[in-house]
This record gives sequence, C-alpha cells and structure tokens, in this order.
Amino acid sequence: MGKHYRPPGKKKEGNAARYITRSQAVKHLQVNLPLFRKLCILKGIFPREPKKKVKGNHHTYYHLKDIAFLQHEPLLETFREKRVYEKKIKKAKSKKNEERANRLEQQKPDYKLDRLIRERYPKFIDALRDLDDCLTMVHLFAALPALDREKVEVKRVHNCRRLSHEWLAYISRTHKLRKVFVSVKGIYYQAEVQGQKITWLTPHALQQVLTDDIDFNVMLTYLEFNETLLAFVNCHLYHSINVTYPPILDPRLEALAADLYALSRWFAATSRASLVGSEASSLSGSEQVKDEQKETSLNESELRLAQLQHQLPSNEPGALMHLVEDVSIEDEEDQDARECKTLFGNLKFFLSREVPRESLLFVIPAFGGMVSWEGDGAPFDEGDENITHQIVDRPTQARKMLSREYVQPQWIFDCVNARIILPTDGYLVGRVPPPHLSPFVDNEAEGYVPDYAETIKRLQAAARNQVLPLPGMGKEDLEDPQNLLVEGIIDRAEANEAAERKRKMIALEKQYHDELKMELEGVPYTSSVSNKQSSVTETEGREEPLPDLQQIAEDAANMSKVVMSRKKRGLLEAIEIGKKKKKDHVVLLKERKNKIKAAQKSKDS
Amino acid sequence: MGKKSSLQDSAVAKHKHRHRMPEEEEEDTTKTTNTPKDTQTHQQLPSSDSDSDSDYNGEFSEDDGSEDSESLRYSDTEESDSFGDEGIIEKVNSDDVTNGHGQEEESDDSELHRAEESDSSEDDVAPRNTVGDVPLEWYRDEEHIGYDITGKKIKKKEREDKLQSFLASADDSTNWRKINDEYNDEVVELTKEETKLIHRLLKGKAPHADFDPHAPYVDWFKWDGAKHPLSNAPEPKRRFIPSKWEHKKVVAYRRAIRKGLIKFDKPKEEPRAYLLWGDESSSTEKSGHLAYIPAPKPKLPGHEESYNPSLEYIPTQEEINSYQLMYEEDRPKFIPRRYTSMRNIPAYENAVKDSFERCLDLYLCPRVRKKRINIDPESLKPKLPSRKDLKPFPITCYLEYRGHTDAVVSVSVDSSGQWIASGSMDGTVRIWEVGTGRCLRVWDIDDAVKCVAWNPVPERPVLAVSVEQDILILNTGLGNEEDQERIKELLRVKAPTSLDDSGGIASIVSWLQDDKHGGIKLSHFKTVSSIEWHRKGDYLSALSKKHSQRIPFKLHGLPVSSVFHPTRSIFFISTKRNVRVYDLVKHKLIKNLETGLREVSSIAVHPAGDNVIVGSREGKLCWFDMDLSSQPYRTLKCHPKDITSVAFHRSYPLFASCSDDCTAYVFHGMVYSDLNQNPLIVPLEILRGHRSSNGRGVLDCKFHPRQPWLFTAGADSAIRLYCH
Repeated sequence: MGKHYRPPGKKKEGNAARYITRSQAVKHLQVNLPLFRKLCILKGIFPREPKKKVKGNHHTYYHLKDIAFLQHEPLLETFREKRVYEKKIKKAKSKKNEERANRLEQQKPDYKLDRLIRERYPKFIDALRDLDDCLTMVHLFAALPALDREKVEVKRVHNCRRLSHEWLAYISRTHKLRKVFVSVKGIYYQAEVQGQKITWLTPHALQQVLTDDIDFNVMLTYLEFNETLLAFVNCHLYHSINVTYPPILDPRLEALAADLYALSRWFAATSRASLVGSEASSLSGSEQVKDEQKETSLNESELRLAQLQHQLPSNEPGALMHLVEDVSIEDEEDQDARECKTLFGNLKFFLSREVPRESLLFVIPAFGGMVSWEGDGAPFDEGDENITHQIVDRPTQARKMLSREYVQPQWIFDCVNARIILPTDGYLVGRVPPPHLSPFVDNEAEGYVPDYAETIKRLQAAARNQVLPLPGMGKEDLEDPQNLLVEGIIDRAEANEAAERKRKMIALEKQYHDELKMELEGVPYTSSVSNKQSSVTETEGREEPLPDLQQIAEDAANMSKVVMSRKKRGLLEAIEIGKKKKKDHVVLLKERKNKIKAAQKSKDS
Repeated sequence: MGKKSSLQDSAVAKHKHRHRMPEEEEEDTTKTTNTPKDTQTHQQLPSSDSDSDSDYNGEFSEDDGSEDSESLRYSDTEESDSFGDEGIIEKVNSDDVTNGHGQEEESDDSELHRAEESDSSEDDVAPRNTVGDVPLEWYRDEEHIGYDITGKKIKKKEREDKLQSFLASADDSTNWRKINDEYNDEVVELTKEETKLIHRLLKGKAPHADFDPHAPYVDWFKWDGAKHPLSNAPEPKRRFIPSKWEHKKVVAYRRAIRKGLIKFDKPKEEPRAYLLWGDESSSTEKSGHLAYIPAPKPKLPGHEESYNPSLEYIPTQEEINSYQLMYEEDRPKFIPRRYTSMRNIPAYENAVKDSFERCLDLYLCPRVRKKRINIDPESLKPKLPSRKDLKPFPITCYLEYRGHTDAVVSVSVDSSGQWIASGSMDGTVRIWEVGTGRCLRVWDIDDAVKCVAWNPVPERPVLAVSVEQDILILNTGLGNEEDQERIKELLRVKAPTSLDDSGGIASIVSWLQDDKHGGIKLSHFKTVSSIEWHRKGDYLSALSKKHSQRIPFKLHGLPVSSVFHPTRSIFFISTKRNVRVYDLVKHKLIKNLETGLREVSSIAVHPAGDNVIVGSREGKLCWFDMDLSSQPYRTLKCHPKDITSVAFHRSYPLFASCSDDCTAYVFHGMVYSDLNQNPLIVPLEILRGHRSSNGRGVLDCKFHPRQPWLFTAGADSAIRLYCH
C-alpha cells in the first residue's frame, strides 16, 4: 500500500508528525503551563529528543503519544474541576462570604496518586529502581523548616520525617545498609534492597540555607509524588517482613524526637506478636533479630520461588537452571548480608550528645550493634559497664572509663565501609582522624589509590586471613596471637609487594638488555655496508637510543591514525583527551602529595 | 495609653515653658501661686492632651475625675502648685466642654497673656517679637526682625564680625551653652539644669529625673458607685417567643435533607497506604504507551567530596585563585574542603538548590537512550596488514650527501639508479654517485636552482635544470662515448632547428646555446617552477608563472604541478584546487579531479597510470582512483605542515610524501589488477633525520628506480638516502 497523498506543504510524516513542541502540547491539552508541568511531573512524562528537530533547535519536544497519554488522564479533569472551585472560592472570599468559601474548600475535589504509581511502576522492583531521587528529596524536606510563604506546611514536613524514619527503620532492621559516606553535602547512604542499589543523601542536621531562585511549586509537586511513592514502598516492605503498616509509635519517644528508636521498638513488639512460639528474649537481642530475619528470608525465598514459577513457562528447558542460578546468587547475597549483620555484633555503643545521633542510631543497629544515647528514653545509660565504645566528638573527654574506648563518629562510618573493625588509634578523642574516603570510588579504575585506602586494604586482608588461621601459626605465641598474625600478614603483604617490584625491575632490566643487544646487532650491520659517511648516522643513532623507542611508539600511533576515517579519528581523540584528563588529575594529586610530604619533612627537620 | 503619653507631653510642655523663661525658674520656686502663668501652662498642652481631656469629660461629665488626673499631672513637678490651681483648671475644662471649637480663640488669648506677662516679668529684656510663625528669611534684608507688642519695629542687633565672635567664643568657657535665638535675635545661655534636661531628652528619657514612667496604674474611676443600668426599659416580648421564620427555615431544611437535596460532607479521610503491588504476578500486563526511560542516577560522590578528604585532594590557594581565571563552564563546581571533625561541618549552602536543579533536570531534560561509548580505542584502529609482511621499504638513513651550502630544493635520480642530481638554493647543481656519496660534478649556476630532472631515457643522460626564467639542458658527461657523441650532437644541433621550426613558440620560449655549461638554454618570460620529462624523454613540460595559453589547456588559476602519464599520452596538470587530466593527442580534457584541498602542492602518478596522489599545503594527501571517481578515494591527514613533494616508486608498491615538518612518510600503496578490489594503503614508516631551517624541512623526495630506497632533499642542505 502506498502512502496517502497529501498536498505539498501539508506533509505530516516522520518527526514532524511524531513530535510536538511544548507550546503546541500545552495548546493541545488546553491547560496552562504550570498545570502541564504538574501533570508531566506526576505522570513521569519527559521531553524527548527527535532525530530531526522540525521546529528548530531551541524547542523542547514531546512525543505525540506522550501527550495523548496525558490527554486521557482522568487527573486532568480533576485538575480542571479543582480550578473551577478555586475560582469560586476566590470569588466568595472577595465578597467576604467566608462560610461559602470554607464550604467550597471542603468540597473541593481531591485526587489520589496510587493509580499513577501503579501505572508508572508496574512492578515493585521498578519502584525501587527509581527510589534514589525520591528518598533524597523526602529526607531533604524532613530537614527543612516549614515555610509559610513557600507553602511548605508543617504537616508535610512531619509526614516527610515520618516516612524517612520508616524507611530508615526498615533498612536498619533488615540490615540492608551497605555503604555510608559523610560528605560536605550531607551523608550518603547506600542500601541494597532486592538486589537494587539505592543511594540517597540526607542533609546534615542543621538549619538549611534557602535561596530565592527556587521554584517551590515544582519541588512540591515532586514531593507530593515522592511522598506517596515512599509510603507505598514502605508499606510493601513492612508487609514483606510481617510488620503492620503504618506503625503506631510510642508517643513518649516520639515527643523526644527518638522516632527511630520508637520504630525499632515497634518492630520488636510486632515481631514478637507475630512469632507465636518464639522465646521471650531481650529487647533488641541479636538472636531474635536473626530468628525473624530467617523467617522473613524464608518467606521471601518462597515468594520468589512462586513468582519465578509463575513467570517462567514450565515447558522451557532453562527454567530449572534459572532457578538454581538464582539460588546461588541469593547465597552470595546472604554472605554479604551476614557480614553486615554481624559487623558490630558484640559491641555496645553509647552516643554523646554532640554526635549526629540520627545517623548513628540508624547505622549502628543496621550493622548489628547496640546503641544508646544521652537523654531521656534511652535504652541504657552512660554508666552501663558493658559499653565497649563511646562515640564522642569533642576536643577532650574529661571523665574516662577504662572499660570502653572513646572514638570519633568517623570510626563507625569507616568501619562500615571497610566491613572490618578498624583499630581505634587514629580516631581517639582529640586527634585529627585519618581521611574519610568515599566507598563509591573504584580506586584502581581511577588510577590513584590514597594512602589510607591501602592501609584499609591491608587490614582487610589481615582480617580475612584471621578467620582462617594458618596451621602452626597459632601455636607459636598464645599470648597475643592476633596481633602477631596481623603483623605477620602485613609483613607478608609487604614482601609480596617487594617481590612484585623486583619482578618489574627484572623485566625492565631484561628489556633494556634486549635493546642493547638489538643495537649491537644493528651496528655491525650498518658498519658492514656503509663507508665513512655512515659514521655520522651511527653516532646519531647512538646519541638517542631512548627517545627512538618513544618515537617508534608515537610513530606507530600516528600512522594508525593517518588511515582512520575522520569520525573514528575524532572519537579516538576524544577518548584520548578523556584519558589524559584522568591522568592529569592523578598527576596533580601525586604532585600535591609530594609537596605536602616535602613540607612536612622540612617542618620536621 | 493616652493618659500616659499626655502625662509625658505635659512634662515636656512644662519644660518648654521653662526654657522660654529661664529667669522664671527662681520665681516659680519662690512664688507658689502665680495664677496667670499657670493658666498659660495649661493652654500650652498639646492638642492630643486636650482631646483626651475632652473625651474624658464627655464620657463621664464629672469634674472631679478630670480634676484628679490634672492633679496627678502636676503632682510630680509642682506638688505645691496643684492644689492652688484647682479652680482655674476647672474653669478651663468646663470651657472645653462648652465650646469645643473655641481653641483658637483661646490660644490667641494666651498669646496676649503671654506678651503681657513677659512684659511684666522680663522688663530688662528686649521686647518680644510678635511676627509669629513666619519664615525668618522674610526679614533677612530688613533692618528689623519684627514688631513688639506695641507695634514698634524691633531693630536688628549689630552683627559681630566673625573674628571677634570667634575670639569671644574661644575665651568664653560657657560658650557651648550659648544658643543664638534668631527669632528674638538674642543669645540665650542655658542653665545647668536645662542642659541636664536636654541630655535626658536626647537619651529618650523623661526630662525630669524624678519622673517615674512606670508608676503603678491607679484607677481613679469609682466603679462601685454606678447602681443603675443605663436603660430602664423592660425586656421585649419577642425575646421570649420562638421565631416563626426561623421555624419555617428549619422545616425547609428538614425537608430538603429528607429529600436528599442537602448532602452532608463526609469527613475527609487521610490517604492510606495499602499493598499496591500486592500480587506481582498479575502486573505483567504491558503498558500501551512509549517505553519509559529511567532518568540517569546522580553521580556518586568521590573522595574529594568527603568532609575530611586526604590532604592531596584539597587545592592550594593559588589553584583556587586560578579557577577565577577559567571560563565559568570549566570552573570546578565543587571545591573540596576539609574539616577536622564532624562537629565542624557546616550546613551545605546549596542543599535545596541542588535538589531543585535535579528536579529541573528530571522534568526538563530530553531523555534519550544512548549506547554507552565504551569502545576500546584499539578497536577503532583499522586492521592493517603487518608491516613486516610489506617489506622491503626504506627504514633507516643509510647515506648522507653533503656538499651543498644551502637548502637542496630538488633531487632527481638517473634512470639507471647510479646517479642522482640535486639542485640547491646556493646556485649549484651537483651529480652524486649513489653508492658512495661521491660528488661527481658541480655546475655553478649563479641563480638559485628551482628544479632538476634527469632525462628518463638511459641512453640520453641529459639533465634539465630550471633556474629563474631559464631552463638549462645540461650534458652530464656520463655514459659511454657513443652516447656522449650523440648527446653532444643533439644538444648542438637541436638548438637552431627548433628555433627555426617553431617561430610561434619563440614568443614564449627562446632556445639558445649555452656555452658556459655546454648545453641549451630555454629562456622564458617568467620564472619556471617545475620541469617534468615525458617518459620517452622527447618532451619536456615546464611550468612558469605566466599563463601558457599556447597549450590547449584552459586552467582556472595558476598551474602548480604537472606530470605525464607513464604509459599513455595523457597529461596531468594541477591548479590550486583541482587536477585536470588532458589527452595530448586529442587535445581534450578527459577528467577534472576535485581534490577538496585548499592548496595543492605536488602530484604524482602511479606507474600503472590509474592512480594519482596529490599532496597539499595543509598536510593532506589525496589518493585518486581514476577509475572510481573524480573524488579522492582516500584522504590521509599525515603531516602537520605543508607537503612539499609526493612520489611513487616505479616498481615497488610504495609511495612517499615529504613535508616541511622534517619528516617523510612512506606508504604501501598496492593497486590490484582486479577492478573490484580497492587499492590498499598502509602507512609504513616515518623517516626523520632532517633538520628544520628557515621553517622548511624536507623539500623533495624521490624513489630509487630499482631499489626500495628513498632520497630526500632537506632544507638543511643535505640529501639523505633511506634504505630498507
């Protein structure tokens, strides 16, 4: 079938037919721009990039299907009705008819977003995948003051706080937290829920700076959606571990702003209720946690199995294989989870008043530790004998107990990222702690490994070997085997490094000898052929043997570039520029490091 | 708090009054009852005071209350006065009540009173001015400052001149207390008490030290005295009977509710979360619309964003300063900072802004699914045959021919490959033995040589040299005797005959016998830039600056380079942009090769004749396959500077280009006899060794006719031979 005939100039095909600009879309939907914006945000419609921009480069283009999708949205009608009501209310108010205004305000149509969430995230895992921004935003608003002029209501801020606490409680309870990073911008957390890495940022618990150049309407629309999404996600997650949602909190603890702890109590209480036969145990005893975890994981795995069976047609030969693979992956996950769960297993922490309490109350239980704080409602007080670590962030600690260590909060975060209990020497009170490194950076790929990362790596290696002690090693010295082991391992690691260095040296030497040999072979060849004049070239050849090597490499690169097509050459050059940038950065870092070292040396001497 | 303020005001007014009459102070204290003066005091109270007074009176119409307040007013300052004044104040108050608008009149009266009084009390002082509240400028030019009470002019005092007044003021220790009263044209000296008052006023306190602004409030009104209600009317009946109309309305509402016309709003319920993704298996339905492209996740923070990064991540102050010089786009968005403990971390100032920007990115940025560019750079490099398989080709410098004293411009190889000729800027043409590097012969031509070319026929070892406007054809004296004789004859005989034969050409070229060098001289009008022999050695093409209109070649622009087809009678001539291909027999243009280059510098033809390479000033080399199209088959960007010369090897599949960047590239250029297979071009070697002089590098390159050797002539006055 051929194409339909259209008169010239009226052709609507291809990109011209498929994409429309934003103003066209607004006109098409018969809404105003703010409403269009709101709809787009709620529905998750975003502009697209057509291959050919028919209307010009400076327009935003929407796909016609997206716009049609918006057009059939019932929310559009609700918004229109709402607008009508708002007009009526305005009129009533201007006529001083308060009663009518109030009545209209109450009758104003309301809308719910659950359908939209279901539509945008047909599966729970999709919602988890998109949770990063949602969490960051909710946590930010939980830390914001209520602003009347920006329509940030107290209720919303409280709701955000509640949702964020619920989320944190879940993560902490199920030991899903993996990485923590304290940056200047706030504290980054990374959790792994159902195999999805979810990273979010919580601002520091301080008064936030507000600037004028922010359109709060846009942010509030996003917040509206994000709040709803997080509520449903929380609900789902809570149900998955057999805890009723929404949690009912101890009002006393809530009043003390210890929501997280209240939530953990709630967890404990509900889980006790749900586990009928479980033994009465201590409040946040680790055995109980384990029990519950076991059951939930069991439930989960059953559920998964059922899902998989549903999804995979039974006649597919690979179905069973998939199942087996999945199980093995889960085992691996379990290994990781177990490590996280028992990191602070037998430690008891006490938080001083000046440390970031909320963050530590979240992180320490997430890694299996017990924690209390200074203030009302705390589970145990400072005088407790069993406290192993007290987290302190002040220049000096006046009264010290010998049975515990006084460390700075950074120690917790570094331990979490390294997954081992680090030595506390560097983190004691009053000392400048060692650098806090980002756990999100792949040092090898970056090309630069900070010193402290190396130390941590060594310690990790030592700790790993400690679990599998070497035969004969333990018998030698019973007094302090661990220390000795660590030392030995460090020594070994150093020896390994030295050996590697030696190997490299040998390789280099060999290369050099080879070159020499080549040269020696080359000389008689040229001398046998050439006469007196060749001596000139010969001396030249001798003068610059090293740059020659470089030049050969350079030449080879040059020559391969010569034959490339222009497009490929451009791409290659771009890659090279990127590599060079990275390299330059590393060089800069090294330079700075050397300078600092030199400065220190000069200071010492 | 009208009362309190009025209290203060009265105090101020009192003070004003005192100020006006400093001498009165003593009198006040001595004479306790000075009735006219006190009336005046009361009259001077500001209007607010009188208003409040009148209100007070209006409401209660009882005089004793107001009297009391009045007494309070004065009690603080003049306790003794207050009781004596009573009667007069009463009189005034009643005046206020009776004629509320009689204020102005009264003030006039008071003015009168004051004048009189001042007369009586201050006899020694000059009479008071009565001009009233008018700008004093009006009297600036007059001799008087106003009129006294009797209507006489008050004369201006004599002005002291500045110096005197200054001296007087310098001597007088109380000068700071003196104020010039312009209205009365006199100098008033403030007393100590007055200065104290002023200080207190300046501090914003009440003028009198003993005044207590926070005195406990005493309610002077007797509340318990009122026994009777204001109205004595009995309660109306309607207060006791239910309203008929209200009843009707209630009935109507009731009916409406029963009929369902009025609906009550249900209390709004909070949206509750429920298991939205309850049964995951049912949610496999496919959404009808376009694919959702998830937004890219925000970048994860690196070490430098830590609150306590390693020291090396923190830029020095100089580096931070240097950021200011950068373009705003290049400037790093985040400058690492270091805090030694967590309690020192301040609030991040851009937290909300960052979040907002992320929101904007999410809904404003077009999203496109892009394939991650994760290409191994090695994979971009084309797969070329190994260089080892393409041997032999020139690799190393084997010989250097030295002797010229200036840049060697041109080099040419004898057809036997035994000799090379070279022309240089120093005005010499030399012939070298290839194997040994021995200089065989030198011609000293005074002008700079542009080009040298051997005759391609081995039996005719003749050399063509272009110098300025001439072309010299030289006998090299090589070859056996037979050849020599033939050449001598040729060179001798040829001259006159050709001159005779073509009289038309003579206008452009004149053939002359050159006895000095033993050859023929062809002089042109313009400088000759290059020479090229025909393959049979019979013809010679020379390019000069002048448009050679004789030839049936129509060129757009100046000819740059020319070359004969190696087998057929075809002639290539290149201008700056294009290469034109002519059939010499048919006198016809066959093809126009569009190079797409900015400025062509040299051209060479493959020995098979179907492929041409063109070198350009911008360092690009074009390979043309004549059978394929008139567009270049391949453009190689190899040199950063001008390509000065390109050359094909006669038998090996090699070609070379040399450039001003002191390098020569050797390529493998295989042409297959199969027409379907494109020529294979592989860069083989970069030959270095020449040094740059005057910004010029290698000026010419030629292949050895039999061996895979390359001769290069450099601007450093050397010729090099590169061997395999």
